Amino acid sequence: MAENILVIGGGPAGLNAATMLSEIGVKVTLVERDSFLGGNPKKFKYKFLFPDMQPADNVIGELIKKTETGSNIKVYYSSEISDFKEKGKKFDATIKSANGNETKTFDSVIVSTGFEHFDPARDAKYSYQLFDDVIDIKDLERMMGENNFVRPSNGQPPKNVAFILCVGSRDRHVGNQYCSRVCCTVSVKQAIELREHFPDCEVYIFYMDIRTYGFFEDLYWQAMEEHDVQIVKGRIAEITSGPDNTVVCKGEDTLLRGPFEIPFDMVVLASGMEGGPQSPEMSKKLGIELDEHGFLKPENVTLSPFKSNRPGIFLAGACTGPKAISDSITEGAAAAMNAYTYAVKNR
Amino acid sequence: MALEKQEHRPVAEKGEHIIARHLIEDDSIKEEKNLVIDGVDVSGRWNTFILSRVDAEYDRSFFREIKDTVVGSRINRCWQCGMCTASCTVTPLYRRFNPRAFIYMMQLGNLKELKKYIDVAWRCVGCYKCSQRCPKQVNPAEMMEALGLVIKKYFPEEVESKLKVDEDVKKIYDDMILGDGRLDLAKLHTSAMRKTGRTKELLGKIERDTIFKMAKDGRAFSILRLGKPRNWGKSKEAIENYLKNIKSIENSEN
Repeated sequence: MAENILVIGGGPAGLNAATMLSEIGVKVTLVERDSFLGGNPKKFKYKFLFPDMQPADNVIGELIKKTETGSNIKVYYSSEISDFKEKGKKFDATIKSANGNETKTFDSVIVSTGFEHFDPARDAKYSYQLFDDVIDIKDLERMMGENNFVRPSNGQPPKNVAFILCVGSRDRHVGNQYCSRVCCTVSVKQAIELREHFPDCEVYIFYMDIRTYGFFEDLYWQAMEEHDVQIVKGRIAEITSGPDNTVVCKGEDTLLRGPFEIPFDMVVLASGMEGGPQSPEMSKKLGIELDEHGFLKPENVTLSPFKSNRPGIFLAGACTGPKAISDSITEGAAAAMNAYTYAVKNR
Repeated sequence: MALEKQEHRPVAEKGEHIIARHLIEDDSIKEEKNLVIDGVDVSGRWNTFILSRVDAEYDRSFFREIKDTVVGSRINRCWQCGMCTASCTVTPLYRRFNPRAFIYMMQLGNLKELKKYIDVAWRCVGCYKCSQRCPKQVNPAEMMEALGLVIKKYFPEEVESKLKVDEDVKKIYDDMILGDGRLDLAKLHTSAMRKTGRTKELLGKIERDTIFKMAKDGRAFSILRLGKPRNWGKSKEAIENYLKNIKSIENSEN
């Protein structure tokens, strides 16, 4: 008898977990809330992925293809878990979709519900949605994905662009004290793309710390040394409208100890990652622990970052905290292995 | 009495009575004799506080200019860690000499800020400790040369008034470079001592001991053997020609 494993969430982590389990002959049920697979990278049309600038489709498209063609995978689109009960060492889950409710018994569960982009409109100082030319990294990524690389206000190419790091991260004011890890790297990646696309456009990055960890540092060096991206130390306290249809960033240059009010054609906010509404929802439905940052809490952050506090329920990807796509894919595989082991042990 | 005095008071020059001179620009002051707006007389002097105390633009053309020079070509690499200032020989003596900050001002084209440091910006002694320690190989020592070039270009008058070249020292320095193709630090030291009238100190106990020690272990002789760079004559000729050309260009411009 083949094992039955439930994967909740069809982003990079969930897709990889599902395809790996399917390859070893496990019956996988993949529950996806959207009408498509691929998670945030697909939803916001990520174009190129750091650090090697490969097309996102090479990664996400590949995972989707494998999942869709996997013989042992059943995908439920636009669906959710409406009921969840423990049954001995196994679990009874009711999947609610357009075709009605369906209750199945699963040997183990992988939660890979991912993250939500921080909504910069929640922090009024950045004037997001107030000015057309203030956008955030997910908007820029989508604009690049749609090949629509211009100022939203007038359709002209920008002459100077500012990136503002740590928007919605490392800020008690909005309730997020953690670092979202990837926004620095995404920002330098997009800065390089902007400079390549518009060689006459000057790009500035306002930072407090630049955290392009590990080998992502190469991208940061490349941005400075090959593309003349200028970094300026200081966080932006206010964005107002300026002369000639510009937006003015007001801040302090902490290296020169002086105030500045610089007009830009376009401002890109490096908004961070949040657990979103799905993390507390999963925590409630599945009876697993939520951490103080609003993400799902692993049983042991070092020894078993892919296990929840409840035996048989495993975690993968950005639902346990901000991470890069590569890390999510790795965790998907780790969770798959553990979910399979649990299922075989309790056969 | 007071009334009479007021009647005879001469009319002040435009902006004359403003004490905080650094905040105004005389040319921008507007003087309106009979200005009435909506029935209110607003005659008087306007624009008396026109200088912004906020940095309002980044001038990247300046950055490009420096990047195009040989000595400043690596300006885009600097990430402001402060290793150069930390290792600097001069900063402990002149706190206002801060290579890190100078590079930053050059990156952002902040001439307003750079102008405040004209008096110390030349203090680099060229020890190259910063360049050796710089984690990004910015070569800050040569960046300080780029700084000198831009300051000379953008603030010629201030440089003229704030920096006096000591002709005697310049001659000793020039003769050494042209004559031998290298700096003889001992010779530079002794000539400086002579110039300040401290000839007696030249052969004090410490100096005598050092000379004796160096003669004993042979270092004194190896210094003498250093001599000139090979084929110095040709280089000397080229440099002299170059200097002559520059002078003739300068003369023709004047």
